[in-house]
Amino acid sequence: MSRRKHVLPGFGLTMGYTWIYLGIIVLLPFAGLVLKTGTMGWEDFWKAVSSPQVVASYKVSFGISFLAALTNGVFGFLAAWVLVRYDFPGRKLLDAITDLPFALPTAVAGIALTALYAPNEWIGQFFSPYGIKISFTLIGVYIALTFIGLPFVVRTLQPVMADLSVEVEEASATLGAGRWQTFWRVIFPSLLPSLLTGVTLAYGRAVGEFGSVVFISGNLPFKTEITPLMIISKLESYDYNGAAAIGFVMLAASFVIVLASNALQGWDARRRGQA
Amino acid sequence: MGRKAEGAGIAMAGPISMVTRHQAGRRATAESPPVKVVLIGVVLLFFGLFLAMPLVVVFHEAFKRGAAVFVSSFTDRYTMDAIRLTLIVAAIAVPLNTIFGLAAAWAITRFHFRGKTMLTSLIDLPLWVSPVIGGLIYVLLFGRQGWFGPWLQANDIRIIFAVPGIVLATTFVTFPYVARGLIPLMQAQGSAEEEAAATLGANGWQIFLRVTIPKIKWGLLYGIILCNARAMGEFGAVSVVSGHIRGKTNTMPLHIEILYNEYQFSAAFAVSSLLAILALVTLVLKSIAEWHATRQLEAGARAGEPQS
Amino acid sequence: MSIELHKISKTFGKFPAVKQADLVVQTGELVALLGPSGSGKTTILRIIAGLEFPEAGAVSFEGVDVTGISAYKRRAGFVFQSYALFNHLTIFENIAFGLRVLPRAKRPPQNEISNKVESLLDAVQLSGLGKRLPVQLSGGQRQRVAFARALAIEPRVLLLDEPFGALDAKVRKELRRWLRAFHEKTHLTTLFVTHDQDEAFEVADRVVIIDRGTVQQAGTPDEVRNQPANAFVRDFLDLS
Repeated sequence: MSRRKHVLPGFGLTMGYTWIYLGIIVLLPFAGLVLKTGTMGWEDFWKAVSSPQVVASYKVSFGISFLAALTNGVFGFLAAWVLVRYDFPGRKLLDAITDLPFALPTAVAGIALTALYAPNEWIGQFFSPYGIKISFTLIGVYIALTFIGLPFVVRTLQPVMADLSVEVEEASATLGAGRWQTFWRVIFPSLLPSLLTGVTLAYGRAVGEFGSVVFISGNLPFKTEITPLMIISKLESYDYNGAAAIGFVMLAASFVIVLASNALQGWDARRRGQA
Repeated sequence: MGRKAEGAGIAMAGPISMVTRHQAGRRATAESPPVKVVLIGVVLLFFGLFLAMPLVVVFHEAFKRGAAVFVSSFTDRYTMDAIRLTLIVAAIAVPLNTIFGLAAAWAITRFHFRGKTMLTSLIDLPLWVSPVIGGLIYVLLFGRQGWFGPWLQANDIRIIFAVPGIVLATTFVTFPYVARGLIPLMQAQGSAEEEAAATLGANGWQIFLRVTIPKIKWGLLYGIILCNARAMGEFGAVSVVSGHIRGKTNTMPLHIEILYNEYQFSAAFAVSSLLAILALVTLVLKSIAEWHATRQLEAGARAGEPQS
Repeated sequence: MSIELHKISKTFGKFPAVKQADLVVQTGELVALLGPSGSGKTTILRIIAGLEFPEAGAVSFEGVDVTGISAYKRRAGFVFQSYALFNHLTIFENIAFGLRVLPRAKRPPQNEISNKVESLLDAVQLSGLGKRLPVQLSGGQRQRVAFARALAIEPRVLLLDEPFGALDAKVRKELRRWLRAFHEKTHLTTLFVTHDQDEAFEVADRVVIIDRGTVQQAGTPDEVRNQPANAFVRDFLDLS
């Protein structure tokens, strides 16, 4: 028996199974997508990804997601702070419900949000007297994307906040810094990388989101259509090339977002853990 | 390794729901009570508005016209078919992904090899791409104009617009969850116990079944629960591959969409309420499993593993 | 600036950490608070700094009651056992911190801050390292930065919590000597906590021995060694 590299058994079996599974489920299909895009020809590709309607959808998917991610940055930060540092009745409940957008099926969230903000319902009725429509507008899209991104910021920040050194805050106090000064000069800078990571994660999720948004958006062409919807309409008209092209663009965007997030996480780890 | 906190709450973030040092009443570094009250109030308002209200709406709309209407939503044949299909798809996808998760976690946390980061990134892939892409890739492969399309048609095998396609798309979208639940846990636990078992002569399966599984059972449960919730609720990817054929290729989420588009609101929300209950149960089980898993981790640390 | 503690009591939950402790540190003295772990000495130090608030008793500086004044107004320099440096700031900025957070009216201009920081870096023998980050320094160096940082605010008193605890023997000895010499020069009222009796006896003018939240004996090193007040002191100092 040749000398084994590994102490524990099962390397071959588990690695083999893992890679075969990934190969079938992930690598092969994605290769198909990339290949499709590659064999399309530049002109067809460009026509598909730069048509005005598709470009309008980029603005919605990428632009509104950004606003939603920023909102989640602010409120997610507050939520993480309150959950980690304060104790109050219902804290555990609040903590558990933070994951709701993650556990609730997107279609259910979609119709619930639409019902909630429809002109004569629940919340929408408060706005319609002023002529403000929420359903079937970008505001509705914004609300849906904020909903689904919230857990990302909170869950990224919580462990980091919990790990903060109390003594560093005490040191700041003994040096004469008031509470706000301590927060702004000492606490926030050490949380910034995690905050950015969480916001990036929320952004990545929002860009690709489909189910929660398609109901409340109304899918008005050039106004509230999201990019994933464009892919579906191309498929429905059997324009596989067009669908693949737009899919490729979304994939590339996701890739960039992942890289950014990993870089931020690396920056964060260097800043914190190794000191 | 910052992967711990990535991706909405499914990694073991530790005993966050337990009281942290910061709460233990060190007044010198705490905000004044009015500030605290305002901050808590703002967060509660935000959560109430954005998170709680949609949930409330689902149940309210489902029961608005009375319990009789609610029940009648489920006597519809297509609804029952949709529920059945959802259960079947989950029953296939979840076990497959569980086995994958166990294998991948074992490979990643118990061995050293090059390309580990790439493998972990690959496992995270479905979390990053739009679910619609998750459906698109299979259509490009197996659809009528796909790479294998002609061959499939020739042999009368239907994947897209049929159940196999739905299973594939669902499997793709949910395969990371079990792995991601297990990897940080198994990494934190270390392989000392397994190695000890190996020196005592146990073979691979024995080590796995007798040593590893008991240690990870709560993390495993946690991953399976999450994987199942996502599998039953998946909409985007399945929407692309399904063809929306009532009674045949409609899952619950797709059926909800159909009901809603047909203005059958009560029925749509009635079916939604089932999935909403599933979501709530998932959250509860998740909290329990997380609590157990962290307790287990702490007990292991206390039981004299050497502090490095 | 003298420190007076009068019948200080502090309980954590059900655990009485400090029980009716009395303590006086005269202006310009260097006093060691000596005792075993859990004796309450760190709690007493933190109460003086304003990081804990006692249930009963009073703390005053030079006769003026400061018990109700919170830490950020007390101007008591504090050096933590774990240094508690601001890891995202350079050494220079760490030391300058106390000056930068002064209210606008009292805040000195940039060049004055620079001069002050540079002279403190000299005093702790770390000149030239201003631009480094705390991660790039050794334990002993970080401890000296913590000193300089506390001194930058011209504190009324200086409080040290096991300042040399986390360092190896050689560095500890050097820093001890440095602390003594520094004190000779500045005569800043200093109180430091330690469980190491050699350290206490070598460095301090007076030693206060604490056990289970109460003061057992206070006196010069010679007084305490030659006339131990009770059995605990005798045992703790290993006299017979």
